[in-house]
Amino acid sequence: MPILSVRGLSIEYRTRRGPIHAVRDVSFDLEQGETLAIIGESGSGKTTLAVGLVRLSPRSARITGGQIVYDSGRERVAVLELDSEELRRFRWAECAMVFQAALSAFNPVITIWEHFFDTGRAHGMHDRHRVHDRARELLHLVHLDPDRILSAYAHELSGGMRQRVLIAMALLLDPRIVILDEPTTALDILTQRAIIDLLRELRRKLHFATIFISHDLSMAAELADRMLTMYAGRIVERAGVDDLFYRPRHPYSIGLLRAVPRVSGALGSVASIPGSPPDLIRLPRGCTYYPRCPFHVDDCRESDPPLLPVDTPGHEAACIRWEAVAARIGSAAKPVAEKLA
Amino acid sequence: MATLIELDGVSRRYATPGGTITAVDDVSLALAAGDALCIVGESGCGKTTTGRMLAGLLRPTSGRLFFEGRDVWRTKGDDLARFRRAVQIVHQDPYASLNPSRTIAQTLAAPLGKHKKLHGRGARAAMIALLERVGLTPAEDLLVKYPHQLSGGQRQRVSIARALTVDPRVIVADEAVSMVDVSIRISLLDLLHSLSREFHVATVLITHDLAVARYFARGGRIAVMYLGRVVELAETESLVADPAHPYAVALIAAIPEADPTITRTKEHVTLRSAEVPSLLALPSGCTFHPRCPLSEAGLCDVVVPALEDLPGGRSVACHVAVRERRPAAELLGVR
Repeated sequence: MPILSVRGLSIEYRTRRGPIHAVRDVSFDLEQGETLAIIGESGSGKTTLAVGLVRLSPRSARITGGQIVYDSGRERVAVLELDSEELRRFRWAECAMVFQAALSAFNPVITIWEHFFDTGRAHGMHDRHRVHDRARELLHLVHLDPDRILSAYAHELSGGMRQRVLIAMALLLDPRIVILDEPTTALDILTQRAIIDLLRELRRKLHFATIFISHDLSMAAELADRMLTMYAGRIVERAGVDDLFYRPRHPYSIGLLRAVPRVSGALGSVASIPGSPPDLIRLPRGCTYYPRCPFHVDDCRESDPPLLPVDTPGHEAACIRWEAVAARIGSAAKPVAEKLA
Repeated sequence: MATLIELDGVSRRYATPGGTITAVDDVSLALAAGDALCIVGESGCGKTTTGRMLAGLLRPTSGRLFFEGRDVWRTKGDDLARFRRAVQIVHQDPYASLNPSRTIAQTLAAPLGKHKKLHGRGARAAMIALLERVGLTPAEDLLVKYPHQLSGGQRQRVSIARALTVDPRVIVADEAVSMVDVSIRISLLDLLHSLSREFHVATVLITHDLAVARYFARGGRIAVMYLGRVVELAETESLVADPAHPYAVALIAAIPEADPTITRTKEHVTLRSAEVPSLLALPSGCTFHPRCPLSEAGLCDVVVPALEDLPGGRSVACHVAVRERRPAAELLGVR
């Protein structure tokens, strides 16, 4: 039974030029305890989707269709039908979100302890001692010294410490789903490594499911069980992590993978994706990736293909040319840039 | 090859209420025409300050900057103007470095008029050639646009075109690709790389991303900085494959890679401490010693290691690696 199931979700932003189709007909399941990574360029809709899942979208956004069902095991909740009080409880208690640990994620004039206390109180934990004990426990869990951290202000902490505090706060109400939006961006490499290791450890101990948004493919390679590639608001590929990295079947996934150089192993054939993403207000007819795609044929202009099952199990790509892609990429467990060299 | 530009033992110190901060300490780097060098390191390591001193934007507190053999901070008049033209900088944020109220044509016209005395039709032809050179076509359409009408990648190409208006000999690019989308970074790096090949421009890329450094500086060199000092300087491939300084080893081992098998099986180096020391209270001796697994009491915490040559054309500032004549990657068992 998936813990979260999204069907046909569409989200638009209203602008003077007309609606921006930021998320278009997105469907996926998040299984209990798994980590799902969503990758794509900026503007692909991944952040709009993640924020939309907890209905934190800005006012200019409008959910135009679809449904989101959260299944805690005890009850099934239609997230899009919750009233504001129910929604407030759903967020954080069931589904928490960790943003980039910028200073702006904190209130500069209150201590970290007050952040914990406010969060707890807003969700019905009125017992100071209980919140305090839980905060100490969580700070230990993220390898921070509670005595030092609880009385500190955000500006007194390093970027890595702030990210740990945000993770600890997200876990305060023991959520079953944690959404992470670029959790290691802007952190130094050694700090980033420590956060990755921490997330892995917490997931093992606490068994929450994770949706993970990053433009950084290496983070997905580290943490994901399954992956979604988004392009122009749609899911264009859905695969297990190894299949996506070694056996991608959508040309856009290949483009993303080839665009990232590596430090270990052969450099291979690294290249940027030519062109730029389409205008989300006036989407072209047919496959939206067609103008940038090296595999395209005339038929690609006819209609935007649905997700089609490909040659590996549990793996789908929205590409009518996936067989040609498969013939070029093959099935060996090697990075795409090496295969194309 | 003859040295074109050189930092000779430069340091940069800042007085703050908390004491003196040494942002850069005794750094020497030299480039010949056509060289590609990447300066890598974490935030606060002094890589940007070093880049600004190399570009002549910041005067070293001590040490000297040479361009074509002349001490830049002692030159005046025409010689100084020549240096200013010869060394161009491409900034991280093309939103901030282009004037929002000027069209691309106006942005390019100013330096072409001032430094090359090109006006009117001549200037227009030069602008179109430059925009085409940096891959912005159709160039005529772009000339009338304002920066906000361009994508981040296009803006960064305009910044590069602007740097090229004065036929520079050296380009210092500070995190020039870190703000553009991952999908187009490579094409910008390729553009910078091709300039060093075609026009023998010496290019210096400052980045925190070692994979970007490896790609850009293939065939060139990488300098790794830590707390204001260069701890290792080596040819790109030998640095990433077989780093000699324990800090470089730890850094490379920690990098997440876009390959699930490699990244999940990589051996990491456990440092003795995760804490980066404050620039206000730098450790004695080697500044990496409180974190270094190879640190030897009585040596590393006392004597500042100089950058010394190891076999294979690499220099490393580490007592242990130099004494053992072996890269630290071997000593730490991480290969």
